[in-house]
Amino acid sequence: MEESIVTYNAFHHVAWGTTISVYFWLVGASAGSFVISSFGWVFGIKRYKPLTMTASVTAIIMLLLVPFLLTWDLGKPVRFIYLLIPGYWHSTGPMAWGTLLICLYPMSMMVYSYFVIKSNQTFAKVFGIVAIVLALSTHWYTGVVMELNPGRFLNHTALAPLLFLTGAFISGIGLMNVIVWIRNMLLPEEKRFDWTLVYEMAQFMMYGIVFDIFLLFLDFMQTIYGSQNEVIGHGVVLMQVFRFPYLWLEMVIGLFIPLIILVTPLKRTKAGAIVASLLVAVGVYGMRIWWVMGGQYLQSFY
Amino acid sequence: MGDQEPQPKQHRSYGIQTPGTKGVRGKKRYAMVVDLRKCIGCMSCSIACKTEYGLPLGVWRTWVKVMEKGSYPNTKRIFMPRLCNHCDYPVCVRNCPTQATYKHEEGFVLQRYNRCIGCRTCMVACPYNARHLLPEKRTDGNLPRMVVDKCTFCIHRVKKGVLPSCVQACVGGARIFGDMNDPESEVSRLLSTETVAVLKPELGTSPAVYYIGADWEIMDEPHSYTNRSVQNREEFNDFKRNHKGDAFADIVEGESLMAEVGKNWIGYLKTIPHKAKETLAAFKIFLFD
Amino acid sequence: MTDLCRRQFLTISGKVLAASALVTPAHAMELELGGKNFHQLRTYHPRTRSHYTCTLCPYFDGGFSYEEGGRIQKTEGNPDHVASRGKFCAKGLASFLGAYDPERITTPLKRVGPRGSGKWQAIEWDAAIAEVAARVKEALPEPDTIVVNEGGHRDGMSRFMNTLGSRSLLRSSAPGLGGVAKQTALQQMFGVSYLLPDLEHSKYVLNFGGNIMETALPLAQRLTDGLVNNRLKLVTFDVRMSNTAGRSHEWIPVFPGSDGFIALAMCQHILQKGLADNEFIRTWTNTTAEELLVALQPYTPQKAAEISGVAEKTIKRIAFEFAKNQPASIFSMNGVSRREQGVDVEQACLLLAVITGNIDNEGGCCLPRQFHIAAPQPAPKPVDGAALRLNYLFPFQVMAGKHPVKVLFNHMSNPVYSAPAASMWREILKDEKRIPFLVDFSPFMSETAELADLILPDVVAVERHDLVSAPTALWPWASISTPAVRPQFKAQDVRETLKKIVEAIDPDGQKGMKQYWAFANAKKWVEQSCAATPGMETAYKKMVAKGYWPDYGKVDPADRKVVKDGEPLAVQYGLYKQTGFATASGRIQVKVPTLKSNPQHEKLQAGQFVMTTYKVAYHVLSMTSNLKYLSEIWHSNPLLINKESALSLGIRDGSLVRVTTPAGYMVTRAMVTQGIHPRVVALSTSVGRAAYGRVAQAKPDQPLPAFAQPELKDDDIDDNVWWRDGGVSPNEILPIAISAQNGEQAWNDTVVSIAPAERGDVYGTVHADNAKHIAIFKQMTA
Ligand SMILES: Nc1nc2c(c(=O)[nH]1)N[C@H]1C(S)=C(S)[C@@H](COP(=O)(O)OP(=O)(O)OC[C@H]3O[C@@H](n4cnc5c(=O)[nH]c(N)nc54)[C@H](O)[C@@H]3O)O[C@H]1N2
Ligand SMILES: Nc1nc2c(c(=O)[nH]1)N[C@H]1C(S)=C(S)[C@@H](COP(=O)(O)OP(=O)(O)OC[C@H]3O[C@@H](n4cnc5c(=O)[nH]c(N)nc54)[C@H](O)[C@@H]3O)O[C@H]1N2
Ligand code: SF4
Ligand code: SF4
Ligand code: SF4
Ligand code: SF4
Ligand code: SF4
Ligand SMILES: [Mo]
Repeated sequence: MEESIVTYNAFHHVAWGTTISVYFWLVGASAGSFVISSFGWVFGIKRYKPLTMTASVTAIIMLLLVPFLLTWDLGKPVRFIYLLIPGYWHSTGPMAWGTLLICLYPMSMMVYSYFVIKSNQTFAKVFGIVAIVLALSTHWYTGVVMELNPGRFLNHTALAPLLFLTGAFISGIGLMNVIVWIRNMLLPEEKRFDWTLVYEMAQFMMYGIVFDIFLLFLDFMQTIYGSQNEVIGHGVVLMQVFRFPYLWLEMVIGLFIPLIILVTPLKRTKAGAIVASLLVAVGVYGMRIWWVMGGQYLQSFY
Repeated sequence: MGDQEPQPKQHRSYGIQTPGTKGVRGKKRYAMVVDLRKCIGCMSCSIACKTEYGLPLGVWRTWVKVMEKGSYPNTKRIFMPRLCNHCDYPVCVRNCPTQATYKHEEGFVLQRYNRCIGCRTCMVACPYNARHLLPEKRTDGNLPRMVVDKCTFCIHRVKKGVLPSCVQACVGGARIFGDMNDPESEVSRLLSTETVAVLKPELGTSPAVYYIGADWEIMDEPHSYTNRSVQNREEFNDFKRNHKGDAFADIVEGESLMAEVGKNWIGYLKTIPHKAKETLAAFKIFLFD
Repeated sequence: MTDLCRRQFLTISGKVLAASALVTPAHAMELELGGKNFHQLRTYHPRTRSHYTCTLCPYFDGGFSYEEGGRIQKTEGNPDHVASRGKFCAKGLASFLGAYDPERITTPLKRVGPRGSGKWQAIEWDAAIAEVAARVKEALPEPDTIVVNEGGHRDGMSRFMNTLGSRSLLRSSAPGLGGVAKQTALQQMFGVSYLLPDLEHSKYVLNFGGNIMETALPLAQRLTDGLVNNRLKLVTFDVRMSNTAGRSHEWIPVFPGSDGFIALAMCQHILQKGLADNEFIRTWTNTTAEELLVALQPYTPQKAAEISGVAEKTIKRIAFEFAKNQPASIFSMNGVSRREQGVDVEQACLLLAVITGNIDNEGGCCLPRQFHIAAPQPAPKPVDGAALRLNYLFPFQVMAGKHPVKVLFNHMSNPVYSAPAASMWREILKDEKRIPFLVDFSPFMSETAELADLILPDVVAVERHDLVSAPTALWPWASISTPAVRPQFKAQDVRETLKKIVEAIDPDGQKGMKQYWAFANAKKWVEQSCAATPGMETAYKKMVAKGYWPDYGKVDPADRKVVKDGEPLAVQYGLYKQTGFATASGRIQVKVPTLKSNPQHEKLQAGQFVMTTYKVAYHVLSMTSNLKYLSEIWHSNPLLINKESALSLGIRDGSLVRVTTPAGYMVTRAMVTQGIHPRVVALSTSVGRAAYGRVAQAKPDQPLPAFAQPELKDDDIDDNVWWRDGGVSPNEILPIAISAQNGEQAWNDTVVSIAPAERGDVYGTVHADNAKHIAIFKQMTA
């Protein structure tokens, strides 16, 4: 029997950790919420107009947390400024693009919100479109920043941005629904939102979930029929070490249980819709964990 | 130099990232050949590098992987020195948002500590684990901390006419360093007469560290994970538990993953004091100096 | 400012550009191998260089130390030194860290509280010297009650003992390369103490129980050159896969102690097939091929195969290859010599080189070329009856009241960790009645120093003036240390300390002692040593300038050949042809030994194994475990056990096991491997420390001792030591087993029982029973 054992190797850290995974979740939730916010003013779906400010504020708050989180994650927090100074800015670095997006996106949301408050339909629409493009880009970027590392086999897939965007969409809706629910609990009857909005959003969420499952299936196919690294990455890293966030948190809690709720009459119940929303919002965090940490995990032994 | 022949067309370069110079006339291209037939696993290279740079514990610019192969009594020990490949197509450089890491026109991939923000994008990008974040605490606090560091091919020695420290120290004489564009050099001679291999050639990074007599299993990434000895795995877990890498995602195998994620959070929060101190100091200088 | 500021950076990058514009070497080999060192960042500031010879192990590689800011920053080999050729091993490269070990002892310490309680009081040198002098004076009427235990290389200790007239100089090992058995074997056969295999020119190398690539680094670099440039074939006989075995063309796992049978069987086969150099045997030995063959009759390959487990076919094949591939050489070390019949087995191995005429020829086993460094003159005469005495039996003799002790000095040795039956040492050293006064010169708080009454801290190697020579090249050389830094704080060279002690005992020179200690300081000691050494009388100035002597030329970094005036330097082989061998007859004294196999090993039961303890490339016995970079590489020592054997005992990789010897047991973790003989288990030395400090013990959170100098605090150690498994040392339970032939501990003969750990067993437990140790001693001496 031929055997071979690695008996010594220097050890390596996994460079990006919890902070980055939380950041990916926040950006996603923010983008998702903002999509809801734009329904009324950009896409002209009138019944969503009451939700606009709530969604927009949620999106802004989610995103304003990000710079603090990220800056503090830097080895040299003060030097975050280098990311913005022309002499330093590096056009080929995905993170350089991301920095711009993270700066521009909340600004555009604020401008949009300003015009919404002023009830200026034209400008709200124009800035809404700008903001929605930026929202999508900001979240697209989180997928891309991991994808553009050819050495990280689990991340190096062109599906990455799509997976992220779909995740953003469903977690944003999930989060919105939860917020609406909390808001409705706290506010007097007359200020509450219509529950049918929640049911309707849950419906959108269901389509998102189905698409997300489809994407995950594609990803699964690619890894399972991929190189040895991908197969081991999937079989050992995701199915063993990261089994909880990958299998349980993302798939079961975050996708399948909500899907079951949403395809049954339960979706027409308050509890059903809210539970599904909550599970989705939380489940997407599972994906952020395995995506960020799992992707780097295997290689830290190399 | 002084060679006036037309230069082959080079692909576009961004910032100060020069394009690869392998085989470009009139340019030097420093490279290393590691002759594994001569490597005895003494790890002098690793220690020489650590002392040259006063490197902190838990980070390495070069190290030697060790593998046992075969079954009794037909067994072998395999050594595999590792370091930055000074790639001609360095993903790390491409992905750095601040141009803190760059490619020198003589092949070195280098680091500008005063530009580096410690975002670790380059660490994620490097397929070879060649980079590390310098911890906050080190013996000589005046040397860089909390920025990314890597093998420099000892440019500070090479520019003064001396070989890199690990090459200097290599007991077996396994490490050979020089200009591969110079047909007279020892590296050129070896590259043209011996069969060489590079790590992960499929990634197209075009490494400049070549191995003679490499064993495929130890070069293989998944293998490193699936075939660790129990001892090695336990050691790594100790490392993940105890080495204070700031805000890293070190998951101890066999422990509850979410608890480990929680510990990462605590690790992140623990960086607040020293980072705050530095931030404050920076503002003081900004405001009062 | 903690970071490199921008302006500094600009100067650096400016320099880089300027340099790249100016320096246009014709080709890359223009790069020098070393000999210069610069700050990695600050404008590449050059560092001050001085000569440094590594004395961590007896190979004494010559090199440099580099100083900046009052601190040694780096050590490395001297590229033109004929032996080191620019190379230091990992230990030599890390050795300077010892000078800045936060737990280093830098001032005389006096014990407060009971022995071993770890409480110390810093005292002045004067007071310390006065106290020691008083104790010695008191003991002087019976000088043999003044005892020195010494390891390392010889400094002033033997001179001190000769001055006092004491015969009680104990050593932890023989000075020089190889142990007593090896040196005795060589002395008997060739009249020398070492043979250097000319590895870079050999075609075939047989390595018996030596670990060239981990323990003999100056030889290892020649071996790799031979392997690649000369395509030599390397065959290693070892009971486990050392790095050398693992990199050999063939690793032949042998049953412990059977090497002699194999070697003699190979001799027989070679002689039988007419492949021997009969002419050489006739001319240069005391016998003939025919006589030898007769004497070798009992040692058939078949018998060797039975005892060693190596196939008869293999033995014959290797014998054939060895004889056919000339020149060939033999290397043998502790694996064959540190056991019951060490001398005989060494001679059996060497016989292979003799019968094939591979003595002092290119690619064969060469006579040693070295300077015999003398002590400064005038030197006191050795006391009548003083002879090399190993320290193994000392605790038993003390315990039995056979060795009265009034003062015990310990220098560069750590028997409480490194000796067999180490727990006996601990017991006697703890006992103030038996050892009334214990003085240690250790710069570190070793397991032995911990028990001292007084610690008089010596300097460490980078701070020491030294002059040494070792037979590690085919040209004799000597090298020097001329430190650029002062000893840290109040550390003091042991020779200066001894001088002060002698002066305090004999202040006016009336006792006739002071005259031998007239040198002003350690530097003068070296100068006078040089003047007293045959062949080096006038070399001192050149030594100081170059660091080594004589100057043979430059070493070409490409092929590592010594080049003088453009020509490779020739080696003078066949030295014996002019003068004969240094034996009485002038010939090699060949004697076919009568080998016996170890009766204990013959009847190993299930669960019983022969245990070997081995050295690793990253440590020197107990000297280096507080050097952070070395301990980072090697800090734990799981018990190596063959996979099949482990499975049959229900032991899995990583599971806890109990190792039981006749004197106790220990609990450690198993590492199941394919790389070890099924009847052997192995543990590495150098780890499993009970003292020495936070790095060595893998306990970074332990508070710094009170004697630690705050200036030496190292944030790196405080924060970044990541390992927590400090290993387990077996020496406390290794029973004493002194070979009748060589007087050495038979380290590699120990029979142990291995079993899965019992309930409640805790990793790291070592339980030694001194009553059993004593019983074993009594049985042994009965
Ligand atoms: N790195 C390092 N180098 C050193 C030292 C050090 O501490 N560390 N110390 C120096 C000193 S003081 C010495 S004495 C030398 C010792 O140098 P070596 O003798 O080379 O080293 P050891 O590890 O004592 O033993 C050598 C080998 O003998 C094997 N062995 C055990 N039993 C048998 C047997 O029955 N047959 C055979 N064929 N092999 C067997 C062991 O597995 C081991 O690999 O090294 C010197 N060099
Ligand atoms: N189990 C097992 N035990 C062995 C062996 C084995 O193979 N297996 N090998 C044996 C062999 S070959 C040998 S040679 C012996 C070696 O055993 P010893 O000769 O006792 O040597 P060390 O244990 O290395 O102890 C040296 C001590 O010197 C002190 N020291 C360190 N540096 C300096 C310095 O610069 N100056 C001074 N003054 N002191 C210093 C430190 O306290 C250190 O602990 O061990 C033997 N022990
Ligand atoms: S090995 Fe890694 S760090 Fe080095 S140049 Fe290549 S990608 Fe960059
Ligand atoms: S850590 Fe430094 S070198 Fe690496 S990508 Fe970030 S800024 Fe660039
Ligand atoms: S070239 Fe220099 S920096 Fe790179 S591994 Fe070797 S010694 Fe270290
Ligand atoms: S120094 Fe040379 S021989 Fe030793 S481990 Fe490093 S590469 Fe191998
Ligand atoms: S082999 Fe290593 S420890 Fe021994 S003298 Fe040479 S450098 Fe020093
Ligand atoms: Mo020794």
